[in-house]
Amino acid sequence: MQHVSKKMFGVLFVLALLVSACGGGTAVPLGNVPATEAGVPVENEAGVSGDLVIYSGRSESLIQPVLDAFQAKYPNVKILLKSGSNSELANALIEEQANPQADVFVTTEIFTIQSLYQQGLFASYRPVGADLLPAEFIGPDDSWVGLTRRARVIMYNTELVSADEAPQSIFDLTDPKWQGQIAAAGSTNGGMQAQIAAMRQLLGDVDTQEWLVGLMANDVTFFGGHTDVRKAVGAGEFKLGLVNHYYYYLQLAEGSPVGIIFPDQGEGQIGLISNATSAAIVKGGKNVTAAQAFLDFLISEEGQKLFAEGNYEYPMLPGVALREGVEPLENFRLADVNVAEAALDLNGTLDLMEAIGLP
Amino acid sequence: MQIRNTLPQLRNYNISPRLLFAAGLVALFVAIPLGYIFFRAVTGGEEVWLRLLQTRIWKLLGNTLLLAVTVTGGATLVGVTMSFLTERTDLPGRNIFRWMLAMPLAIPAYIGGIVHLTLLRPRGGLIPQLLASWFGQPVPTPSPLGFGGAAFILTLFMFPYVYLLSGAAFRSLNASLEEASRTFGRSNWQTLWEVTLPALRPGITAGALLVALDVLAEYGTVALLRYETFSSAIFVQLAGRYDRSAAAVLSGVLIVLAVIILWGEIRLQGQARFTQMDSQWRPAPTLPLKKWKVPAFLLVSLVVFSSLLVPVIVLAVWSVQALLDPAALASIMRSGSQTFGNYVWNSLWASGLAAVLAVLLSLPVALLSVRYPNKLTQAISRFCQVGYAIPGVVIALSLVLLVNRYLPFLYATPLIVVMAYVLRHMPQAVRASESALNQLSPSMEEASRTLGRTSIQTIFQVILPLIVPGLLAGAGLVFLTSLKELPATLLLRPAGFDTLAVRVWIWASEGFYIQAAPAALLLVVASAAPLYFLLRREQIFR
Repeated sequence: MQHVSKKMFGVLFVLALLVSACGGGTAVPLGNVPATEAGVPVENEAGVSGDLVIYSGRSESLIQPVLDAFQAKYPNVKILLKSGSNSELANALIEEQANPQADVFVTTEIFTIQSLYQQGLFASYRPVGADLLPAEFIGPDDSWVGLTRRARVIMYNTELVSADEAPQSIFDLTDPKWQGQIAAAGSTNGGMQAQIAAMRQLLGDVDTQEWLVGLMANDVTFFGGHTDVRKAVGAGEFKLGLVNHYYYYLQLAEGSPVGIIFPDQGEGQIGLISNATSAAIVKGGKNVTAAQAFLDFLISEEGQKLFAEGNYEYPMLPGVALREGVEPLENFRLADVNVAEAALDLNGTLDLMEAIGLP
Repeated sequence: MQIRNTLPQLRNYNISPRLLFAAGLVALFVAIPLGYIFFRAVTGGEEVWLRLLQTRIWKLLGNTLLLAVTVTGGATLVGVTMSFLTERTDLPGRNIFRWMLAMPLAIPAYIGGIVHLTLLRPRGGLIPQLLASWFGQPVPTPSPLGFGGAAFILTLFMFPYVYLLSGAAFRSLNASLEEASRTFGRSNWQTLWEVTLPALRPGITAGALLVALDVLAEYGTVALLRYETFSSAIFVQLAGRYDRSAAAVLSGVLIVLAVIILWGEIRLQGQARFTQMDSQWRPAPTLPLKKWKVPAFLLVSLVVFSSLLVPVIVLAVWSVQALLDPAALASIMRSGSQTFGNYVWNSLWASGLAAVLAVLLSLPVALLSVRYPNKLTQAISRFCQVGYAIPGVVIALSLVLLVNRYLPFLYATPLIVVMAYVLRHMPQAVRASESALNQLSPSMEEASRTLGRTSIQTIFQVILPLIVPGLLAGAGLVFLTSLKELPATLLLRPAGFDTLAVRVWIWASEGFYIQAAPAALLLVVASAAPLYFLLRREQIFR
């Protein structure tokens, strides 16, 4: 998101204000919005102030512009951000359950947030505009809300691999002809964890394990995060990288010769694995008003545009335009995964990775 | 050291109960993490123990021991060689080399690791790429990843411990010792092996001990280079699982390991005592290197180059790049509502406060053990030094639960981070305070008491003013190590309280090395300054 200039935020901000001003008259049926909120126009920021503590598993450079825009809208709020891995922050939330510190938890996938919901960590809140989102991305009891969707794709270096040659399935990544030529994120990465959890549900433990062992036997290089992966593929250190789709676009924007494969679209293949970033309000958090305003903002047109424009993600809110050049998700056949069910067995996923020693 | 034995007359004064109480309180404070981990490990449940015993512990134990042994051996070899060359030979430029060989202490190993990783990473590293473009095909280069890489990086940034301590020993060595050896017909080499090095053993073992314990506690470097040890496994268990029992069990094993090393050190030190007669002390003569001059110079240059110059130059270049790139600069300057100035300020005040607190808490312990040496007071002093043995991640683990449960108002405040620093770095303060007190003649106190001052008055009016420089040295050490501390800060920091070390880690773990550079460089500079004054003050270099 770094390449998005301040000026652009300004433009976006003005645009968003215009949009919300025009849309002000068309009242959206609000579900169970708390009484204090119901009568207050969305544009009124007067009551929102104080410290807003956000625990975020998202890459900081990807959330900062959203925080900036929120801050511009609510100048009386002071944002305190704690960045870390999804699981690290989830653990902190569990530890702090009796003495909650965070107001909002933002994560890069659904598994962690669903698992924390089961432990009763989140307050119910149906953000303004939540009815417009696909129902499957609203947590049970309105405990969390999906923000954006991301697809797991293969990116390749077009100088080293032709489009015909590039693997069309994630299972091709275990083909010895790619030995030593693939980069991916390791076991501590939320995107990778979520992919493995999804595969366990789709295929079962045995096949998932076989795939992972195949990757390791193929000398796949596992990095801590995807930024390393995209840069390495962009620079030609690796022919292929297993990443979230927007990393391809970010790398392309830097002028690298990279191509993208949305894998497993053929007959009988598992389909495109996707995931959703999500956010929730922490039960017992000290600044409920600001937390609710923040969630409203995240799924508002303005917030969604920032995710789409700055990070090439798929906005959860229908009708928000994709960043130019991003292939719509509707063009693809998605893997049939029941997220809520997959989340039940987070430990099983961790056990599997630990057992085979995924770096 | 020998002064202590000339103090029996002081035992005539009864131990002040207030002093004993204060020291006892400090020991209790230090005991919290140990007791907690022990409790959690024991009550961790059979299931966790079985799961860990079946797979993890043995592999981790092997990994950790292998790394500790290799790095300690490597650091000892490099450290002693370097101190020999700069202290005892006519190596050209040795006055400058002395400084340059000590300065890597200001560079946290994980920052050195980031730099070397970028340079040497297979395929992607700058050096492999350069070689590939020169020769038109990939040239195999050593990988900084895995065991070899971790051992290399840690040796590179930990040898200065051995270097400084063995260097001090080299300098204080009496010429007559070696002269006697040669009089009895030993060659120079034989003298070195049979007389000089054994005489240096206390200094060398002390340095090696520091290295070994540091390797056990190391998190950042091994995590970065993907070599799993106890410390990194604990972090993964803490961060990745929703069950802390496994982390506690691993911590318990790690503590046992560290206590074994500490015990081994005491045994080794106990057997090797060398008494020197100060009145006849003359510095040992400088050995001419002759035809070895050039190779020796190149060797020392290589060590200085890879442990000091490369990291500093690379960080400086990246920092300039970051400052010139508006987007990078913008992301450096802010996270949430925090600015770069906040990170700097947080680092400085938290480390500074930890330094002051650690020294204050060390005082009663040191006073007690130096002035009233008996089994009990020695035990209290040793106990307060076990912090060396407890990695930051373990201390963090104990504080998270204890404070959250019993002192919730402290939880999620920066003070809990400071508390972790104090617990972890107390030993440095205790050792510094003890050595400062050891240098103070007890006759001053006796005079003060004879003149009618109470013991409290004596402490504040006589002892403290005289040992302030020594205490400052201890505070400097605590400040330095707190500034670099990573795992405890990562786990304990409240939202909106990032330090330079945390920022470096967050940026670098996402692959944003350019963004990480200014903070890393500043961290190195902020550590180098107190280090420089410490080395000067201690007259380690003239």
